[in-house]
Amino acid sequence: MLRIENLKKTFGKYHALDGLTMEVKQGALYGFVGPNGAGKTTTIKILTGLLAADEGKVWIDGEDAFGDARRVKEKIGYVPDSFGVYDNLKVREYMEFFASCYGLEGLMARKRCSCLLEQVGLEERTDFYVDGLSRGMKQRLCLARALIHDPILLILDEPSSGLDPKTRREFKELLTELNEQGKTILISSHILSELNQMCTDIGIIDQGRMILSGNMKEIMARVDQSNPLMIHVHRNMDKAMAILRSHGCVRTISIKDNCLSVGFTGDAQDEVLLLQRLIDAEVLIRGFYRQQGSLESLFMQITDHKDKEVLLYEGKPSI
Amino acid sequence: MRGNPVYKREMTISSRSIRLPMIMLIFNSILALAAFLNMYSVTTRVEVTAEISYSSFLQLYVFLTLIEFFMLFFIMPALTAGSISGEREKQTLNLMLSTQMTPAQIVLGKLLSSMFHMALLVVSSFPVIFLVFVYGGIRLRDLAVLLLLYISVALLCASFGLCFSAFCRRSTAATAMSYGFLVFLLLGTYAVNVFVRSIMQMGRADYANQVGLMTSQADSGVFFYLLLLNPALTFYRVVGEQVGNLDLFVQIIEESGNHPSGPLIGAWVPVSIGLQILLAAGFLLAAVRALTPSSGRTKRKKKYLS
Ligand SMILES: Nc1ncnc2c1ncn2[C@@H]1O[C@H](COP(=O)(O)OP(=O)(O)OP(=O)(O)O)[C@@H](O)[C@H]1O
Ligand SMILES: [Mg+2]
Repeated sequence: MLRIENLKKTFGKYHALDGLTMEVKQGALYGFVGPNGAGKTTTIKILTGLLAADEGKVWIDGEDAFGDARRVKEKIGYVPDSFGVYDNLKVREYMEFFASCYGLEGLMARKRCSCLLEQVGLEERTDFYVDGLSRGMKQRLCLARALIHDPILLILDEPSSGLDPKTRREFKELLTELNEQGKTILISSHILSELNQMCTDIGIIDQGRMILSGNMKEIMARVDQSNPLMIHVHRNMDKAMAILRSHGCVRTISIKDNCLSVGFTGDAQDEVLLLQRLIDAEVLIRGFYRQQGSLESLFMQITDHKDKEVLLYEGKPSI
Repeated sequence: MRGNPVYKREMTISSRSIRLPMIMLIFNSILALAAFLNMYSVTTRVEVTAEISYSSFLQLYVFLTLIEFFMLFFIMPALTAGSISGEREKQTLNLMLSTQMTPAQIVLGKLLSSMFHMALLVVSSFPVIFLVFVYGGIRLRDLAVLLLLYISVALLCASFGLCFSAFCRRSTAATAMSYGFLVFLLLGTYAVNVFVRSIMQMGRADYANQVGLMTSQADSGVFFYLLLLNPALTFYRVVGEQVGNLDLFVQIIEESGNHPSGPLIGAWVPVSIGLQILLAAGFLLAAVRALTPSSGRTKRKKKYLS
């Protein structure tokens, strides 16, 4: 659906995008994450034709995105990181204005506007001034606006900033619903826990480069593996240590108050087998679990440049 | 025009704002007051001397059209200088640019709505201006030429307002630049001529002294043509000719060292109007360019490479 190859963009001497390559599959809900200044907004602006890239190629639905602007823009709905609203314009007029920007006029446009406003729950506000809407309503209005021409790819730049948890949840449900209706969605966000539940795919970008991307489930599995396995041993600590030391998947072990924190690279199946072996060896176990893996910890891990340096100086982590 | 979304939206928004009615109120009040005072003084004089002074009606014509000219000249940049930068500040410009609308359509929509406002102002002032027909002396053709000049001036002012608005991030900067350029057109074009001529004159005088010649007339060279872009001078040329008083025009031309009898002086009005329209078109193109995303860096690089 969307393919970006070796995208580059410099502002002066600063390399905002430095050979970004990514792919969003048809029907995906793609989470586009990265720290501040990573180049998310820049990428999105290039996709929507607001910025020209220095180098690289972009295909949207098989079409060269830097080619025929009209045809490409027809395919994209864009919700920027700020909602632009006009004073002195009513919700309906706002929608109809953007409809006419896509050449939709008259009865068709009016029907489409009503339909979309209903979908985002603003049908009772059509005669309100856009300026007077609350933040959450404005955000939904912006989503409705982006959908006016029925695009196949929806691009949202940090849509959840400044929304309360309830509104955010509603907004998330709205996006999931749209995704189920067959729209491919690219959403950039900081709120990782949210993407965690909602996205099918994810890409993590830092300093203008894609550093990790792929299916959400696979990545979460990797996140799990990077987190330690916690084993609370009630009795027979020595036997437990012996078994763990001889296990092929065990990388590190540390003990604190009868609680073992094990660096374990195995998958769920290996975990089951390990537990079985420990029980068979009559180790009494009070607790056995993976420390809650979150996207956040992974994100911190791979985007925190300071940490890497520290690790290099420390050499091998000690057991 | 019907299909331009920006134009339609501007109309909706301006119909809800007090700005245009206020401008119209003040604009027409000033014209009406000027007309009233003139008529009043003429009629009171008639009561005393039983003599109708036709020249004071011509003065009325000059006075009214002059006020209208300057009001247009100063109002148009105000209408357009904030229009694109304002959208940028409100973050709506990117929204529009991300739709299928082209930068040219956006600029055109903005231009049309400001020209519509100008038309409203000018047409609403017609009843007062037409007072001059009561006493004769001014022909319909004269008014047509005047109207053409108004349109070209409004177009020029709207265009450079839009252009600065498209280039500047802030509306205040765009407004400042627009009025800066306006002052350049009004006074700068003249000042440059006087300045250049005085420098040339000094040079000639030195040369003449050395070789023992009589001092010859210097002129301001190509800078003279800048005067063609001065809308006020062209306005004076039009109205002055109509009322038979071109003293000031002749004086300004002479001050630049040229003689007011050349073929260019004869065709001053059409040439000036044509140039103003061309300049306006240039500004509009620049505005469109400013809104079109481009990576100037690479383009230049590629040129070097190839
Ligand atoms: N118009 C510009 N001129 C100069 N530098 C810019 C411009 N736009 C972006 N940058 C720089 O490019 C880098 C990437 O910016 P970008 O807005 O894409 O980051 P982001 O990932 O969206 O960050 P955030 O999460 O804060 O929104 C930043 O370091 C920024 O300073
Ligand atoms: Mg951003």
